Amino acid sequence: MRDFVVVGLSHRTAPVEIREHLAVAPDRLEQELREIAANGRLDEALLISTCNRVELYVTSANPIAASQIAKDALAKRLPEAADDDVLYQERGIDVVRHIFRVASSLDSLVIGEPQILGQVKEAFDAAKGAGTMGTLLGRCFTQSFATAKRVRNETGIAEGTVSVSSIACELAKKIFGNLEGRRTLLIGAGEMGEAAARSLQQTGTNLHVINRSEERARALAESCAGRAVPYERLTTELADADVVIVSTASPKFILTPELMKSVVRSRRRRPLFIIDIAVPRDVDPRVANMDNVFVYDVDDLQQVAEENLAVRAREAALAERIIEEELDAFSAWRRSLELAPTIVALRKRFGQIADEEVRRALPRLEGLTQSDRAVVEAMGRSLVNKLLHEPMTQLKAGAGELDGALLIDAVRRLFAIPAEKPADKEPSTQSGEEGTVTHLAATASGPTGESK
Amino acid sequence: MKAGLFIATAILYALACILYLLLLTRGSDKAQRMPGTVFVAALGAHLAFLLLETPSPGDLPLADISQILSVSSFGIGIAFLIASYRFDVTILGAFLVPLSLMLFLASGLGSSYAPVPPRVQSAVLTLHIGANIVGLVAFALAFAAGVAYMLQERLLRRRQLSGVFQRLPSLDVLDAMGLRAVLVGFPLLTFGMITGTFWLLRSEGSEFYVSQALGLVAWAIFASVIVLRVAAGWQGRKAAIGTMMGFLFTLLVLAGYAIRAAAGSA
Repeated sequence: MRDFVVVGLSHRTAPVEIREHLAVAPDRLEQELREIAANGRLDEALLISTCNRVELYVTSANPIAASQIAKDALAKRLPEAADDDVLYQERGIDVVRHIFRVASSLDSLVIGEPQILGQVKEAFDAAKGAGTMGTLLGRCFTQSFATAKRVRNETGIAEGTVSVSSIACELAKKIFGNLEGRRTLLIGAGEMGEAAARSLQQTGTNLHVINRSEERARALAESCAGRAVPYERLTTELADADVVIVSTASPKFILTPELMKSVVRSRRRRPLFIIDIAVPRDVDPRVANMDNVFVYDVDDLQQVAEENLAVRAREAALAERIIEEELDAFSAWRRSLELAPTIVALRKRFGQIADEEVRRALPRLEGLTQSDRAVVEAMGRSLVNKLLHEPMTQLKAGAGELDGALLIDAVRRLFAIPAEKPADKEPSTQSGEEGTVTHLAATASGPTGESK
Repeated sequence: MKAGLFIATAILYALACILYLLLLTRGSDKAQRMPGTVFVAALGAHLAFLLLETPSPGDLPLADISQILSVSSFGIGIAFLIASYRFDVTILGAFLVPLSLMLFLASGLGSSYAPVPPRVQSAVLTLHIGANIVGLVAFALAFAAGVAYMLQERLLRRRQLSGVFQRLPSLDVLDAMGLRAVLVGFPLLTFGMITGTFWLLRSEGSEFYVSQALGLVAWAIFASVIVLRVAAGWQGRKAAIGTMMGFLFTLLVLAGYAIRAAAGSA
């Protein structure tokens, strides 16, 4: 029976030094897929490559061989030093669960981050373009998009900001409303301060950079389209700024209450938002008590990030439930896919036996009239129908149940019904029933057929 | 009929109150329009009630303190609707609707209020009442913005950044709203005070000392808020506190009249 296999690595199993060896540029995805599909006995293939994961999804009538092929396809690009252990693999319904979780951003480094869904969609389009997508992967991935959408809408998994820079931006927006045309002053040249200044600048604030080393200030200002200001103008710059990011390496407080008192007076008490990213801190804690001056240090911001992450983790439990629901729906679809050919094959087999026995019996009966022969033939067919009636009913009813696949499997084995050739036959039995995936089935039988 | 309509209006206001408070504390993705719908229904019922109150078509229902309270409550509702339609301040319903409800309920105690004697009625009096009601409505908006500002600032300082903090508007919006509303309300209050004094002198009454004094205090507070904001660049918390104090004093003026009227009828 055709089944799913996924082989891959992610931030959970491999460090970035290894992941970057396997990453595939988006414009190379189709080419890569064609190569993988050409040398293997794979029915379908899809490759997801982001900075946090590289995963190869395939389907094949021989899942064990397919998983080896898929593993080799990735392992050959691993650096010498790396172990094969960094690669994980799943088979069967676990693959479907995995892609549902990935698309819903439950498996992401930052749970609930929104980019992954777009990246999965790109991978989906690439597989379509490469012609390595068929009914199974097509259905599986389209449903993963729907699942991701449900998770996003029905849980709070994507709520709250979880990076220090964007939290700083959100806070600034909650103080100043529109940030367009406001001024950000970056004091010092810490990496985190720079990141925060950049994201503030993206919201439309003007950036001024001040540093003891004027050269450093100029370099930084140039790299992010800001303006370098000499250090002597610190007081006037503070008076004109709205958001101040401090991240110097100074062991003493830079923004003292004495300095800030005169600043506050000269800025006529306009609100001032100070983000102290330096360790040790650059802002005297007493400054935080001043009117209309709001001071947040790096711990405060990180705490907000952690709180938001904790909320997301709670919501993730809800999301897992949605995923199980969607998995049930997917399994039901798969069973219905197997049910029709099983019923057809079962009827055919029984009918053949009845016909054969009638053919053998008739010559041995003498003096039968035409109508007598008809009665015997009808009896054969009716026996088959009567015998099959109950099993058929049970099978059809079972298709919607969880153990339906077992039932179908048992029937196939009891009556020795051969597994139909995948790729060629399955899409044809499906066409018409599954409007959304029939066009994928058409593209699938082309290239995968050639590759054999 | 009138009593039934009054109770229905009060219930609708109370319901809207609860819904707006839930919107603030719990947030909601789906029922965002619910509080607004209920509140509009409450205003509809209130309007019907006011029309019943009006002695004859064309007259304003400003005959006594009860009706003045009722009209003020209605005015706050309308102003809030317009403000939330034009700016993104729907959440302020959590502060304004309770105010509306309170004034409406106070107007209901009005069966015990004495009507203004016909001899003191005049065009000047109507102008005085009208200007003060519109001023009160403007100050109510400023008050709500002030309350929200204080709450928002407190949450920001205490680093409680989820929930309510996310749902309230930014400090800047609240501060600007407070300033603008005071700038609208102050000239009306001034006009109201001048017409009031003028009317008082003409009708040779001298019994309103307490209310007048309270009104003067409110006027002085608002005047200093404006002066400090414009001249000294006052912003934020102190301005919000000043605005809230000014509004409370204007409410006290109304309360003074109500108590007097209640005592007068007893």
